[in-house]
Amino acid sequence: MSKFDIDEALIRKLAQLLKETGLTEIEFEKEGARIRVNAGGTGPAVFAPGAVAAAAAAPAAAASPDAPAAGSVSSPMVGTAYLSPEPNAAAFVKVGDRVAKGQTILIIEAMKVMNPIPAPHAGTVTQILVQDGQPVEFGEPLMVIA
Amino acid sequence: MFEKILIANRGEIALRIHRACREMGIRTVAVHSVADADAMHVRLADESVCIGPAPSRDSYLNMPAIISAATITGADAIHPGIGFLSENARFAAMVEEHGFTFIGPAPDHLTLMGDKVQAKDAAIRFGIPVVPGSAGEVKDEADAKRWAAEIGYPVLIKAAAGGGGKGMRVANDESELSQAWSMARSEAMKSFGNDAVYMEKYLSHPRHIEIQILADNHGNVVHLGERDCSLQRRHQKLVEEAPSPALNAEQRARIGKVATDAMTKMGYRSVGTIEFLFQDGAFYFIEMNTRLQVEHPVTEMITGIDLVREQIRVASGAPLGMSQADITFSGHAIECRVNAENPETFAPSPGRITEYHAPGGLGVRVDSALYGGYRVPPHYDSLIAKLIVHGRSRNECMMRLRRALEEMVINGVHTSIPVHRRIMNAPDFLNGAYDIRWLENFVAAE
Repeated sequence: MSKFDIDEALIRKLAQLLKETGLTEIEFEKEGARIRVNAGGTGPAVFAPGAVAAAAAAPAAAASPDAPAAGSVSSPMVGTAYLSPEPNAAAFVKVGDRVAKGQTILIIEAMKVMNPIPAPHAGTVTQILVQDGQPVEFGEPLMVIA
Repeated sequence: MFEKILIANRGEIALRIHRACREMGIRTVAVHSVADADAMHVRLADESVCIGPAPSRDSYLNMPAIISAATITGADAIHPGIGFLSENARFAAMVEEHGFTFIGPAPDHLTLMGDKVQAKDAAIRFGIPVVPGSAGEVKDEADAKRWAAEIGYPVLIKAAAGGGGKGMRVANDESELSQAWSMARSEAMKSFGNDAVYMEKYLSHPRHIEIQILADNHGNVVHLGERDCSLQRRHQKLVEEAPSPALNAEQRARIGKVATDAMTKMGYRSVGTIEFLFQDGAFYFIEMNTRLQVEHPVTEMITGIDLVREQIRVASGAPLGMSQADITFSGHAIECRVNAENPETFAPSPGRITEYHAPGGLGVRVDSALYGGYRVPPHYDSLIAKLIVHGRSRNECMMRLRRALEEMVINGVHTSIPVHRRIMNAPDFLNGAYDIRWLENFVAAE
């Protein structure tokens, strides 16, 4: 018989994940010990193979395009995003910068025309989600200004 | 041959184009609006780019967005599909200026055939018979009176910048002319922003017969026979068939030759369809569609030729690879356009598809982007599926079509399937005895 310590913190974490993601069951296995947490109720049983991978993927799914982070700035057009005004110049903004509403935060180039993209609201840049020179589509999250 | 084609369209035709590309080993880029993010062709395409919000003006008609998408994905060519920008000369020119191939005719031909008055003049120049009418625009009411007297009543006043049956009014005799004149002009202004009108003889019982054209960039032109598209409601086709039950072999060969000679003289390239009214053995040109058509599958079924594939091939510069003698016609095909609309009121019926079952079996083809759970968006036209059936004879084809319509299930939205079932049992349709007014009378009588 193998020793089996109840990892209360892990169980609480799994239960929290269930609640946050709406999954009904998570099964977690490590070093031969396996634990399964079930939300009960009458919801459909969503089997999550590769439990750790599924648990890790769930938070990412919650952040899918349907529910962008608050303060997310999405692309108004199709084109190529540039983070600085010229190839070797400093970037318009970096993470941590405070920006004013209307301040240029990046450029999107489309059909050889450079289009400055203004900050839709004032705040602090918390995430820059695109790389310099990355193609972007309409609605793609570019930055988060909290 | 192209390595990557951007499909600048949506719905079942975008899926159709994607399929042809995949079969040729060509990678596809699906551009789509926010409302079409879950469309079948977007899911299947190699790459997808969201180009704008739901309204067509901001997405499927958004030229910079589409060209930008082609640039960032490294596409070689753009297929414009049907409607939207497919006959927009400015778009075609812009596509080529940016180094992409526009899969369609030359911009000049889009311009020429886009203006209905110019198109008619061109038809006359190229030897295509036309409806007797005013030589160009009718400038004022006095002019209208003179022309009507010369052409002979009844007459039809039509918008020069028009299409789709809008901006048209009939005058049965001189007493009706004044009102028909002013109403046609104001409707033309409202629908097309241009109140220029011309006049034609009004035909009382014509059929709509159109000839499919295919041409390469080297001056080779063939026709792939006719389609009878007389079953229309408010100028929207509902059922199409090939060959037409009204034409004999001599008439088919004659009008086919007229069409190919004209297209050769014009130097046309890509696919195109020349539309005629046919009455009492005579053909009258109405317009030319310089693009692929919705009903192209019926031609594919009787010729065995993949029109989208050929369109892509000739756009890449390949020669036609077939002569008129190589094109043979086998059997009969009928297409039913299944629209998401109320079968009685014809009001659009967008919504979520709860059940979808496509009919199958020998000679049954369904071109549709539907799947169970798909949401038919409210922002675009209502065509959701095309049921195309082939048989060795018209009778066999109709029996098969009736059987296929019995099996077809689309739940969650209203569809025109009940209308099609009624048409397939109507004696006039069984006898092939219908003209372009038949369907409207049929649905009104129900």
